[in-house]
Amino acid sequence: MTAADISCENVRKSFDRTDAVAEFSTVFQAGRTTALVGPSGCGKSTILRMIAGLDAPDAGLIRLGPETPKQVARRGGLSMAFQDPSLLPWRTVRSNIALGAELARKPAGGVDDLIHLVGLDGFADHRPAELSGGMRQRAAIARSLISEPEFLLLDEPFGAVDAITRRRLNQDLPPLWRRRKTTTILVTHSVEEAVLLSDRVIVLSPRPARILSDIQIDIEGLRTAAETNSAKFQALKSKVLAALEEAA
Amino acid sequence: MTVTRSLLGVVATILVWEAIARIQPNSVFFSGPSDVANYIIGHSGLLFRAAVETTGNAVIGFLWGNFVAFALACLVILIPRSEWVVSALALLVFCIPLIASGPILRVLFGPGSGPQITLAALAVYYTTFLSLVVGLRAISQNWTDLMTIYGRGRLSTLLIVRLRASLPYLFVGLQIAAPAAFLGAMIGEFTGAEKGLGVLTLRAMRGLQTDATWALALISASLAMLGYACVGLIKEKLTPHAPTILVSTPRGRSDHSFPAQVIGVAAIAALVFFLWQGSMDAFNLNPFFAKRPGDIWQFLSHPANMNTLLNALGATLAYAIPGYLAGLALGAGLAVVLMLWPPVARAIMPTAITLRAVPIITTAPLLVLAFGRGFTGTVAIVAVMIFFPTLVACLQGLRQTPTQIVDLFESYGVTRFKLLRSAQIPAMLPALFASARMAVPAALLAVTTAEWLATGRGIGVLMALTASTSDYNMLWSCVVLLCLVAVGAFAMVAWCEKRVLRIYASEQLA
Ligand SMILES: Nc1ncnc2c1ncn2[C@@H]1O[C@H](COP(=O)(O)OP(=O)(O)O)[C@@H](O)[C@H]1O
Ligand SMILES: [Mg+2]
Repeated sequence: MTAADISCENVRKSFDRTDAVAEFSTVFQAGRTTALVGPSGCGKSTILRMIAGLDAPDAGLIRLGPETPKQVARRGGLSMAFQDPSLLPWRTVRSNIALGAELARKPAGGVDDLIHLVGLDGFADHRPAELSGGMRQRAAIARSLISEPEFLLLDEPFGAVDAITRRRLNQDLPPLWRRRKTTTILVTHSVEEAVLLSDRVIVLSPRPARILSDIQIDIEGLRTAAETNSAKFQALKSKVLAALEEAA
Repeated sequence: MTVTRSLLGVVATILVWEAIARIQPNSVFFSGPSDVANYIIGHSGLLFRAAVETTGNAVIGFLWGNFVAFALACLVILIPRSEWVVSALALLVFCIPLIASGPILRVLFGPGSGPQITLAALAVYYTTFLSLVVGLRAISQNWTDLMTIYGRGRLSTLLIVRLRASLPYLFVGLQIAAPAAFLGAMIGEFTGAEKGLGVLTLRAMRGLQTDATWALALISASLAMLGYACVGLIKEKLTPHAPTILVSTPRGRSDHSFPAQVIGVAAIAALVFFLWQGSMDAFNLNPFFAKRPGDIWQFLSHPANMNTLLNALGATLAYAIPGYLAGLALGAGLAVVLMLWPPVARAIMPTAITLRAVPIITTAPLLVLAFGRGFTGTVAIVAVMIFFPTLVACLQGLRQTPTQIVDLFESYGVTRFKLLRSAQIPAMLPALFASARMAVPAALLAVTTAEWLATGRGIGVLMALTASTSDYNMLWSCVVLLCLVAVGAFAMVAWCEKRVLRIYASEQLA
């Protein structure tokens, strides 16, 4: 399976009387990582939920490659890490992670590698109630990766993860989805994380969400935490921050 | 520590009981522990065989009833559109007092344990169905989202998430179901079996054998409670954090307009007639005892028959209504009084929850002995049957007053009485109405059983009579009428509930 674009055309969504998303149009390029940043409550989660086929847009068109979100979902081609880890409390960490493959009808190989990658060694047989919030979130990330999806939607996946672990995950996880040529959308509150992890940052306006600026992150090669000190990184970060401040 | 204390309690109870019995030797309505023990020892073989028979039927009925409840609940989840019809039919069948379906099942099944097992199943399926539906629905949206992300539908969601998540709710239902199954089996035996504790109870009562009546009531209640305790133990093991749920019927959607509701009721009525006539024709049941809707219509068009039936109903309702109201009022009243002394309420709660599960019918013979075969005895049976579920539900409702509201009131230093009146009693109302609805079939069951066993008046007796004289037209008419009364009363309570809760809600808005 080759990577495919996610295209949004004039997508609109409102709840009761609140307009959450207004005329959202863009193409998330195949095999690339795009970050969505914007003030909280501006409609980022709503956009992801529509791309995942959880909510239907009121107007407009969403396509993943040639297919609708529902079609991709049915063949197990996408996965999403929610803001809330929503693990099944009666399953162990290992079996919660394996659930991602089970649901996508794919072989659950490499669970232990993923457990190691997200730093949950030694907790494979624990239940979610025995983990901290950050650990649960890491298990949920692993669950979204195990099915090797073509489309990966991450909604503030590191929100509850402590700073040190977050730095490590920021470094270890992206190579995984880059190697697999996964089309990834990452919602995050951290500008630094957005610049570090993605090829492009989209800054959204306050509700209803519109695109305020669209910044290419053209940093070549492996991105390590050390990269954050480079002048180029700092310049890109300031650019995103300036756009965000304009939004507020 | 607690074990010694409860042991001491048991010993003290037995001593007091014996003392009372010694004060009134040879009483016709009171047997002391020594009399009861003597009877049990003297008839241990007979009692043991009867207990095995009844327990066996109860267990088989328990399994069947819960299986049906499980299947219906899954159906409702998998095909949400079916909910309306399934719930309505389930409620309708639940509304038929067991003592009314007993004789009919007896003629359908002939001799044997078929009716007892069916009645045990009928006694349990509804509460399990209700709590299971609540449980299957009580999952967070995140989990359904997760399933949707992977393109999984209702079946996968049911199998992977809902079933496991509903376990605590299922066990709440199963625990109530265990003694209820026992009750169903006993009632099945009242209505014409050859073996079992119900048969012995009937014989003891008719023969005015006080010691036997007491012994049988004790054994029956203990076995039923044993079932309750066993399921409780499994529940503790599997799901230590059981949720508090009010086992009550789901409230119908209020967005249906009046014409839509009328059409709905008519559709259900048509479906019932179709099923009634259709199943009898399909199984080619003998029209001598399997009466069709047309037969009943014809039978009741004779004014004499109609009069007999309505007179009996009048007599029955004259007992049922006071008992029903008394049970509700006492239950709610005691809950409110207990709320003024929270430590007492906390202490009484476990006992009340346990007593709620005692199938009162198994002790009905004792109430008849104590209060006589007239008005007081019957009303007492009905009231006691309703009292404990109402007490428990109302206490749970009172406790669910949002703590912020309680804190707010207390921060203004209002009296406990004021808090109760303006915050806690309104919070209790939904629970009270939920139990008022569930109490309708319970009250009819209690009153008809009491009539069947003891009083010699009303529809219960009419059914007993017609069952023994093979007057099947009258028997079926009784069943239909009781069912209509139950559904009507149920609808009336639901109507009051809607009005009262609406007033209460608008008060909240102001
Ligand atoms: N299911 C819903 N019902 C009503 N309003 C909603 C719903 N989901 C989101 N909203 C509203 O839409 C707006 C955008 O929400 P969301 O997409 O969650 O924002 P965020 O950018 O923080 O993820 C918010 O104002 C939120 O209150
Ligand atoms: Mg969000």
